[in-house]
Amino acid sequence: MKHLIGLVGTNSSQSTNRKLLQFIKANFQKEATVELMEIKDFPVFNKPADSVLPEIVQEAAEKIEKADGVIISTPEYDHAIPAALINALNWLSYDVYPFVDKPVMITGASYGTLGSSRAQAQLRQILDAPELKARIMPSSEFLLSHSLQAFDEDNRLKDSEQIEKLSGLFADFLVFVDLVNQLVQAHESNKKEAANFSWENI
Amino acid sequence: MKYVGIVGSNADLSYNRYLLNFIKKQYSDLFELDIVEIKDIPMFNQDNDQTNSQPIQELNQKILAADGVIIATPEHNHTIPASLKSVLEWLSFKIHPLENKPVMIVGASYYDQGSSRAQLHLRQILDAPGVNAIVMPGNEFLLGRVKEAFDENYNLKDQGTIDFLQSVLEKFNAFVSLVNRLETPEDKPLPEEDLYSSEPIASTIEGVDMAAEDWVEQAAEKVGAVEGDTYVKLNRGILTVDQINTFLASMPMELTFADENNQFLYYNYTKEAEDMLADRVPGQVGNPLVLCHPEAALKNVGWVVQQLRAGNQDVVRIHVPTHGPDKFVVHNYQAMHDEEGNYRGINEYILDFKPIVDWYLKQTGLKLEGDIDATSGASQAEEVEVDAGSGASVKS
Ligand SMILES: Cc1cc2nc3c(=O)[nH]c(=O)nc-3n(C[C@@H](O)[C@@H](O)[C@H](O)COP(=O)(O)O)c2cc1C
Ligand SMILES: Cc1cc2nc3c(=O)[nH]c(=O)nc-3n(C[C@H](O)[C@H](O)[C@H](O)COP(=O)(O)O)c2cc1C
Repeated sequence: MKHLIGLVGTNSSQSTNRKLLQFIKANFQKEATVELMEIKDFPVFNKPADSVLPEIVQEAAEKIEKADGVIISTPEYDHAIPAALINALNWLSYDVYPFVDKPVMITGASYGTLGSSRAQAQLRQILDAPELKARIMPSSEFLLSHSLQAFDEDNRLKDSEQIEKLSGLFADFLVFVDLVNQLVQAHESNKKEAANFSWENI
Repeated sequence: MKYVGIVGSNADLSYNRYLLNFIKKQYSDLFELDIVEIKDIPMFNQDNDQTNSQPIQELNQKILAADGVIIATPEHNHTIPASLKSVLEWLSFKIHPLENKPVMIVGASYYDQGSSRAQLHLRQILDAPGVNAIVMPGNEFLLGRVKEAFDENYNLKDQGTIDFLQSVLEKFNAFVSLVNRLETPEDKPLPEEDLYSSEPIASTIEGVDMAAEDWVEQAAEKVGAVEGDTYVKLNRGILTVDQINTFLASMPMELTFADENNQFLYYNYTKEAEDMLADRVPGQVGNPLVLCHPEAALKNVGWVVQQLRAGNQDVVRIHVPTHGPDKFVVHNYQAMHDEEGNYRGINEYILDFKPIVDWYLKQTGLKLEGDIDATSGASQAEEVEVDAGSGASVKS
């Protein structure tokens, strides 16, 4: 069975994005295992000259490295992804490259009607940066709007259409993971490229 | 114009910081730039509201008071750094100082693209409803290949870049004026100044004739003012009244205090009127400002106080050229504020700048360049009938 990381894209304790990932984990447990990853305790990234990674970052990098894929669920703050998530991605591309060629599915939840669409669009561009270079599942979007009202008391999504859409995307994602894994030819060189890539020397 | 320049990086070494420092230095004739750092601002977390912490409040106040903001952003992973995003989240959570504030974006990066993608994201962020800044359209300033861009004195090397940056900044000045005009559709005239001091404030000593020659003695008796070797506790220290007097008398300038009710309450009396740069006499203390000036000067006095009270200017300076070529006398009207930022009157200080400039030139071996025509100011003489603090108008 495939093992996925569910990256909670916020440091907020009351997150509907966390709820969404918890729902995914519970709902699809027969298809894959999903392990939630929190970013709240990542220190503030400040380009440390010595490139020594905090332990928590190292652990996260290893887990992502080992996983078959990552689902990132992002809130939207000011039409963009939260600083806390940018922060985590900054760390996870600084002398470690766990995202290179990693299959990624993006979901997002927002209180309003747009369901974090703008944050998701930016996240795609971010994951495309040379040191991240993730394989983002194309032409797929899961936008959970009005997220405060979206769950019942058992933390299940209320709307069956939403569940159906999510099930489809999740099944597609598992296929996408296999597809990406067939594209391994270039993987080693991609890794090397990312590791050799240095903004300092460009 | 007064701008705040935000260094969008929390790193110890930042080319974006160099860039802002250069802008501040190179274009000081276009605007004043107050450069602020973001490294003390914690990561945004909605569970732990730090809006009222000192670093966030300080930034908030500075932005609110500024005519515009220049943000210099690095690019990390095709977007702005987490630390800069965090600041913008704090500034769109419980407070919204950037609302309707003109903003210009610049950015430096190691690469040719010079933070272009980060700048685009930043525009989208600044446009979000919680932020709602007014970002100058077009006019991107991208500084690519920053490692080669500065010389050893942290000046930009390329003259073409310097000229282009100048043109962009000039456009920003025009943009700020335009936006500010949009924001204040009608120029509301400032309220008339009451130079008769007819609305007593909490500290006004009532029941004594403000015009009395011995107002100081009468008022002192009325409130039991301390004097001599009585100690007074100050922020920060303790002095006797005698020591305070000695201290103020030694200030190399003529100091005058007028409160927010436009009452002349104090000057550091060391010389007689005829030996002063702007003459005051002991009997004037206590007067409302209207009694300190000739009729013709009152309009200007009112204008100066209006500017200071409204916060349009922190200080109004007037060069008074009537003292001959050996002096460069400047009247400075400095607004005073209490800790809450409330207007508390005028600190007027009058001094001759010439000895300071001479000393500076002697120490540095530098020379002044160009025509120095500061003293033949006959034509300026009419404009200088402004002596808001107190005393008679300028000697002529
Ligand atoms: C500083 C700040 C800015 C926000 N800006 C947006 C926004 O631009 N668009 C939006 O849909 N929600 C915005 N929100 C509300 C989001 O918190 C909410 O929609 C979020 O996506 C819910 O995710 P969560 O439940 O996982 O925290 C903002 C919230 C904060 C605290
Ligand atoms: C984690 C990380 C990611 C980066 N990603 C980018 C990038 O996507 N695009 C880019 O032009 N520079 C990138 N850089 C290098 C930047 O050009 C450089 O850090 C910064 O913009 C220079 O500004 P500063 O000296 O003010 O920090 C990255 C640097 C780091 C540490």
